[in-house]
Amino acid sequence: MSALANKLMITEPDIQTPANTSDQRSQNAGLKVIVQTIREVAEGIREFTLVSADGSALPAFSGGSHIVVSMPSGTRIYRNAYSLLSPPQQRDHYRIAVRLQENSRGGSRFMHQEVKVGMALEVAWPLNLFALSRLARKQVLVAGGIGITPFMSQVQELLRQAQASQSAVLQTAGSKITPPDFELHYAYRSQDHAAYVPELQALLGDRLKCYDQSQGVTLDIRQLLAEQPLGTHVYTCGPEGMVQALLQSADELGWPPAHVHHEEFLAPPVGSPFTIKLASSQQEVQVGADQSMLEALEQAGVDAPYLCRGGACGRCELEVLSTDGTLEHHDHYLSAEEKRAGRKIMPCVSRARCDVIELNF
Amino acid sequence: MQAGYWIRSKPIYGGLQWQHKAQAHVIIASGEGGRAVLRLLQQQLPPQAIKVLYLPEAQADHSHALRHMLQDVLGLDLASALSRHDTAAALWLALDEVLTASRMGTRIYAAGDEAFLWQVAAQAALHGVLNADIMREQAASLARAVYCVHCKTISHHVNTNIATCSGCQRQLLVRDHFSRRLGAYMGLMIDAEEPGNVPDILEIYP
Repeated sequence: MSALANKLMITEPDIQTPANTSDQRSQNAGLKVIVQTIREVAEGIREFTLVSADGSALPAFSGGSHIVVSMPSGTRIYRNAYSLLSPPQQRDHYRIAVRLQENSRGGSRFMHQEVKVGMALEVAWPLNLFALSRLARKQVLVAGGIGITPFMSQVQELLRQAQASQSAVLQTAGSKITPPDFELHYAYRSQDHAAYVPELQALLGDRLKCYDQSQGVTLDIRQLLAEQPLGTHVYTCGPEGMVQALLQSADELGWPPAHVHHEEFLAPPVGSPFTIKLASSQQEVQVGADQSMLEALEQAGVDAPYLCRGGACGRCELEVLSTDGTLEHHDHYLSAEEKRAGRKIMPCVSRARCDVIELNF
Repeated sequence: MQAGYWIRSKPIYGGLQWQHKAQAHVIIASGEGGRAVLRLLQQQLPPQAIKVLYLPEAQADHSHALRHMLQDVLGLDLASALSRHDTAAALWLALDEVLTASRMGTRIYAAGDEAFLWQVAAQAALHGVLNADIMREQAASLARAVYCVHCKTISHHVNTNIATCSGCQRQLLVRDHFSRRLGAYMGLMIDAEEPGNVPDILEIYP
């Protein structure tokens, strides 16, 4: 965790929690939680409610945050990032939703098949790589399928802003600051694949627009982006194809990049085995076919940096000194130019097709 | 100042260039900024709607040239392509109306002296436009607006390395530290420790 996040957590006055608040604990230690309930929220999507193991309040977070869940499976530990669905101000529990991936390496299968009510899990402190812009005049949220998850906490934050502005305090102060208008566009394959539609309808009313593909209702992303007022920010999370289509439309229509936000967490893809050589220690680490470089380093006892473990945040970046093969970049962090140059790699999701790769670590 | 010395808040300005991926173009200029707009209009024109908002100054009025260029050379409808304003207040009112009706994908360009460029940014920010969204060209003078850290007054059109604060009359050293919110450089008292010891005053921002 960054020093900044650490500082913010500790100095923020806490008015709602008892003295045994979890905020005093070291963030590096992670949070011990217990699975309280498990329920099916859509086909292949399971929701988990987590409460802290010692009954203390969980750390507060901002809309769009995620946690990384550690999943000990046999001799390995999988660590996957999942968006927090619960309202940010609610600190007695966290909720996450996990879709069973067809080609799961083990993470989502572990959550679906091995996690039971009452089980203890370790999760990292919440982290936000998908925060709402404070300068937006309007917020347009675009979700596809399981990509609805980060928006669950974002809409709570936006609703809270809207309610706060209606309070008499701001009215009498004559404040010109009005909260941004917002809408959520939710596209899914069919009603069975769509999680949380009734819950969102109750919360958002007309602000929710649903697109059920099985009924022939499709979202025209280009049209949606073409008609937005100046000062709008767009946020998207969903299948790769949808995210890419949105990014391309925004670019072609002349949206400045700072107004376009997206989040995709990737699972490390499988590949062929190879060897990592560490320049500082001359240590050699074998990477298995279904193992990420980061997981292999951790298993060998190397304390490599990481945060999101999904190719989004850039924290785990390592410098490539040499390789006898080619790099396979899978992250969303490095620019196309940096990927071509081949001097950097994100070991959480990227790997190499080679015999040996030497890293400056 | 030595080689390699650089204050990162000091903005760097280039020349205006059309952003061809766009839904519309809004150009705001004052005084000598009109010449920058004429240079822009000489580049290959984008197909989307273009609107120029212009505030002439006594010493620099390019209204006629802009009118000729837009109407006679480029064949645009002058009523929609150019609006000329006699006062800054009228210009900001017109800009407010244009931006209220604008959609995302409207590219915004500003040309004029540095203080004007950041007044445009402040007006546009009310519509959720970010600093990085605006293309800027610093036209004519390098004059600086200087914010006095002692009395909080902003002195305008400063051409020298050291300037007298228009609020408290202190002699202010003009730094490169720039506030985008205020559109001004930091000025601090040069002879606070040794009253009266003021180095040579040089015109370095003509």
